[in-house]
Amino acid sequence: MSDCPAIETIGLSKSYGRMEAVRDLTLFVGSNCLTGFLGRNGAGKSTTIKMLLGMVRPTAGYGKVLGRRIDDPAESVEIRRQVAYVSEDKRLYGYMTVEQTIRFTSSFYADWRTDRVAALLRKFELPLDRKVKSLSKGMRTKLALLLALARRPKLLILDEPSEGLDPIGVEQLLECLVAQSSEGTSVFFSSHQIEEVERIADRVCIVERGRLLVDLSMDEIRQSYRQIDLVFPFEPRELEFNLMGVESVRTEGCQLRVFSSGNTDGIVERARAYHASSIEVAPVGLREVFLGTVREKSDALV
Amino acid sequence: MLWYKAWLETRARFLVSLGGMVALSSYYIYNEAQGVGKYAGLDWYYTALHTGHGLIAVMWVAAVMFLIMGGLLREKVVGTSSFTLSLPVSRARLTGVRILFGLSQALALAVIPWGAMFLVSIVTGKATSIHQAIFHVVLLAAGGLVFFGVALLVSSLVEGEYTAPAVSFGILFADVIALGDRPLRAFSAWNFMVGSEYFNRRTELLTGSIPWIHVTVNIVLATLLSAIAIRVTDRREF
Repeated sequence: MSDCPAIETIGLSKSYGRMEAVRDLTLFVGSNCLTGFLGRNGAGKSTTIKMLLGMVRPTAGYGKVLGRRIDDPAESVEIRRQVAYVSEDKRLYGYMTVEQTIRFTSSFYADWRTDRVAALLRKFELPLDRKVKSLSKGMRTKLALLLALARRPKLLILDEPSEGLDPIGVEQLLECLVAQSSEGTSVFFSSHQIEEVERIADRVCIVERGRLLVDLSMDEIRQSYRQIDLVFPFEPRELEFNLMGVESVRTEGCQLRVFSSGNTDGIVERARAYHASSIEVAPVGLREVFLGTVREKSDALV
Repeated sequence: MLWYKAWLETRARFLVSLGGMVALSSYYIYNEAQGVGKYAGLDWYYTALHTGHGLIAVMWVAAVMFLIMGGLLREKVVGTSSFTLSLPVSRARLTGVRILFGLSQALALAVIPWGAMFLVSIVTGKATSIHQAIFHVVLLAAGGLVFFGVALLVSSLVEGEYTAPAVSFGILFADVIALGDRPLRAFSAWNFMVGSEYFNRRTELLTGSIPWIHVTVNIVLATLLSAIAIRVTDRREF
């Protein structure tokens, strides 16, 4: 296992005129780790990935992938030699057949595994002699995944990999990602499918408006985040619960819902001090963490 | 394998262009040869060859403008640029292979149709000299290189699947119209290609020696345009 982080960025930023696509992103993705990268549409996920792969130049900041600088053209070529990438649109050359596409792609990588190709072709049921332009969207997605999974890369970067896949395809994809991770490949994937990320990710990063809001392991999220439902005999003031660890507070009459990332005991103690008639503390899933964090922080980032 | 990709990407366009150029130019010359009766002089036939050369030049420019259509900017429009740019290859190499492959196709499109015309002229017993054939091909290729360079640069600057060839054709028309009259004609790449400055209307042949200085200038210009295209592609964001 390598000690070098798979991805490392410090203050990484990208602006297009006045629009800041990525703002001061400081990210450390460990090696041999399956990391989910969540965010709304336009949050900066794809732009971040493109900067890591040298397709887009950062406006500010610094980044390394597998110990190599992303802003050095020669090192960027070496990064791409060791990284397998599946883009969001998964478009491939329409004029090539499946077989030609595989043959073309395999010529660039020393870590290409022919045995893995055969297994994935059977698994994904891809016709070798069909032209890419006549494949369905789902089959194109599977071919794009095959080209990435047929190697033994040090890092696998996927941008919305399950988009366009049917439920069986999604299951196959998740199995493959877990298998790759168990073989020592670091996996970094962006997705809108929170349930998929929750199932397989070791770690989650959440971005909004180009800023990193959350960077925690799934265990830390499960241990730290809570939804605390309080009922009072009177209408409570939200300000009284502006405590450390509180991510968001919502009131509805005499009921107060607190979404917290820590300090649960402190919040419960405050509720008791204000004579709450009912206190319920419940763990939350990744979906609630995402919604609670992004909703609350989104306005603050404007 | 980048050459393999370039071939697969352009083979239909190349083969259709080559087939069309060989067929049209050969048929034209064959037809003219049949028309040259025993009372007409060879000079009339030489005019036909020169006209055939002009026909090839028109087809050549059209073919090359469509052949060189492509590159990373067009791939961005069709959606494959992310895949291409994720390969462990520098952008300079991607563009360089495309240029060299396109150049070899462009040269083939200059030599083969003219070669076919020359063969037809031999078969019909109305052969012109090999020096004339070589002179014509050199003018076509060297003058055409400038349009090759222009088309390449435009394809690295202009987005849109078919916008780049449209702009390139516009530049060609501008060359023909703006530089069509003396004394500017000497600067026109199109006039150089069709040999206007070297064609003797009395003998109906290209006269003088091959203008190697002008050929060199065209090569340098085309190289400069290609270098700019590589630089532009290298700096562009996808």
